[in-house]
Amino acid sequence: MTLPQPVVLGEMPSLSKLYVNAAAQAARRRLLGTHESATLPAESHAVRGVRVDVENLTAYQHLIGETASDVLPAGFIHALAFPLAMSVLNRDDFPLPLLGMIHLRNSIEQRSPLVFTDLLDITARVENLRGHRAGTQVDVVAEVGPAGSGMLHWRGVSTYLAKGVFLPGIDKPSAAEAKADFAVPDPTGLWHLGVDTGRAYAAVSGDFNPIHLSVLSAKALGMRRSIAHGMYLASRALADVGPARGDSFAWDVDFEAPVFLPCRVALEISTEQGGSGAWKRSGFVAWNPRSGRRHFKGTVETL
Amino acid sequence: MSIDGQSMPGPGAPARETSVPATRRAVIVGGNRIPFARAGGAYAKSSNQDMLTAALDGLIARFGLQDERIGQVAAGAVLKHSRDFNLTREAVLGSALSAETPVYDLQQACATGLEAVVGLANKIKLGQIESGIAGGVDSASDAPVVVSEGLREVILDLNRAKTLPQRLQILSRLRPKDLAPLAPGTSEPRTGLSMGEHQALTTAQWKIAREAQDELALNSHRNLAAAYDSGFFDDLMTPYRGLTRDGNLRADTSMEKLAGLKPVFGRSLGADATMTAGNSTPLTDGAATVLLASDEWADARDLPKLAAVVDAEAAAVDFVHGKDGLLMAPVFAVPRLLARQKLTLADIDYFEIHEAFAATVLSTLAAWEDEEFGRTRLGLEGAFGSIDRSRLNVHGSSLAAGHPFAATGGRIVATLAKMLHAKGNSDGRPARGLVSVCAAGGQGVVAILESL
Repeated sequence: MTLPQPVVLGEMPSLSKLYVNAAAQAARRRLLGTHESATLPAESHAVRGVRVDVENLTAYQHLIGETASDVLPAGFIHALAFPLAMSVLNRDDFPLPLLGMIHLRNSIEQRSPLVFTDLLDITARVENLRGHRAGTQVDVVAEVGPAGSGMLHWRGVSTYLAKGVFLPGIDKPSAAEAKADFAVPDPTGLWHLGVDTGRAYAAVSGDFNPIHLSVLSAKALGMRRSIAHGMYLASRALADVGPARGDSFAWDVDFEAPVFLPCRVALEISTEQGGSGAWKRSGFVAWNPRSGRRHFKGTVETL
Repeated sequence: MSIDGQSMPGPGAPARETSVPATRRAVIVGGNRIPFARAGGAYAKSSNQDMLTAALDGLIARFGLQDERIGQVAAGAVLKHSRDFNLTREAVLGSALSAETPVYDLQQACATGLEAVVGLANKIKLGQIESGIAGGVDSASDAPVVVSEGLREVILDLNRAKTLPQRLQILSRLRPKDLAPLAPGTSEPRTGLSMGEHQALTTAQWKIAREAQDELALNSHRNLAAAYDSGFFDDLMTPYRGLTRDGNLRADTSMEKLAGLKPVFGRSLGADATMTAGNSTPLTDGAATVLLASDEWADARDLPKLAAVVDAEAAAVDFVHGKDGLLMAPVFAVPRLLARQKLTLADIDYFEIHEAFAATVLSTLAAWEDEEFGRTRLGLEGAFGSIDRSRLNVHGSSLAAGHPFAATGGRIVATLAKMLHAKGNSDGRPARGLVSVCAAGGQGVVAILESL
């Protein structure tokens, strides 16, 4: 099967316009009734020759705890590609409502480093629409490489859940997977996250989703308080793993309980060495030190 | 053998032949400090420069150093304001020393004072200087307060702006929360855990009991109080701001009183929390100095020679993801140092192990007594060994005296030099003392002194 030609956008779409449009679309669907189809748009979206703003890069690196090197952090590239990914979810033929989707899982392969002077070609598409016991999930795939090279240096798969949305013809898994009890380990780190954590990450990532910005804007979308961006948390864990990860690595994270702000998050980083004693893999897990509830877990692994 | 630790030549391994250039001896003439005050106490309004100058002036008066051009003065502070970039030079210019005395500032967290002693002793040994004053000072009361990142960026951008509209535009970025100042914290930047929380992890790992910690704290207070009562500190200290003894000293404390204190660190760990304000050092203000010299320089001025600085070793541990405890670097430094000097723990007459927390000392001793740790982490054939506890911190240490970070090394070196001199030769060998200081960032510095 050949994929259809991508829709090439002239520039990076504006996230704020996408969110406004998504809200309008949600209202329209509510009024007119949803045209429920269980197929995903096959077309991908692409932007060519994207330029990185170095001031924005520095601000991102400082916020996340990365040294401000010329290499783009893997999480920064995710943020860079995010508006394009959202533009696919914002298409009229995308069957799930964009607003309120929950980020369940993120899987990134950083195959080769990219530096801020590289112009980047970015594509995004959706695939793998499938059931979930609480709704319907979908994968958003983004791919990034040096402009015009046709090479793939970075690939990200973000899995989102549209909670409570069940589409015809898509079966939901019969039962919830039994969750193993989480035994709280000794922490190797402790994060003190202020109430402005979401706003600070929004400023460097451009993701001004209202659930992250303030108590009021979060309440408007049904949350009791604002929550930290999942990718902010995962990116800090990646930064904590540190230079051992090298230039090419796979970075996976599963999000569990949301992190309501302000709060403290305890973190454990465990290191696994290969036969030669070289770094092979770091596992990370974060939890609420008061309740012991797990917020997220994941791995960084050599590619 | 490959070990996941910090290898060193084991007892069976051939000693590494190193060509050491001919050097001479560096001797400790004496020391002077001001009593240490609890933060917010007698020195609340005194600056680092004030306190360092006070300690320095006492040293100058004791050894007749007025107008003397010292080879070099090295001192530092851990909590240091950027305007104090030349803290030590300013203190020297404000003292009775010759204004032609060169200095350098240094900073190695809590090991600052000891590293200053080692650095100057090495210069004396190499013949680069004839005399040196090592020191350290810290104020937890007069700590520098930092403006927020937001305000700082606005101020710096304003400096770069050229036109009024630019300046107005920059000013408009200011938010009310940017005006809140930030006090310095004791958290490790890479982990967000405070030093006490880090030690609590190590304490749990080595299963150090609450009672053992309280007992060590009690001994520290008793030993320090006894040393004061016997007049031991009379020629090691000058009163300052009304204090004649360390403000933290509780001569009348008891196991019952210490047992009554609530744990403050490690409360969210699985194990029982055991670390209290009583068995942890408090935030403290103070300064300490040590006078070092060549034999010739001391003899020419008819000054006492208490002890020689024999050798020193620094170590660091990978604490960030918990491979080792934050304050455990001396556990690796001491075996390396003793091996180089062909000594064992039994050859040491006095141990001065800095009491960052009672549990730090006890974890260090536990690691040395552990067979598996000795084998897998130190590369030895078994446990490194145990020490005679009656030789440990015999005139008290930081739990009782307090711990103004950079001043602690000078306090310990001067105290130990005096003890070694008093003990003198026995069994045909000089008395030996070991100093061990752990520091933030997973670092540690240790040194051996020998009586003269």
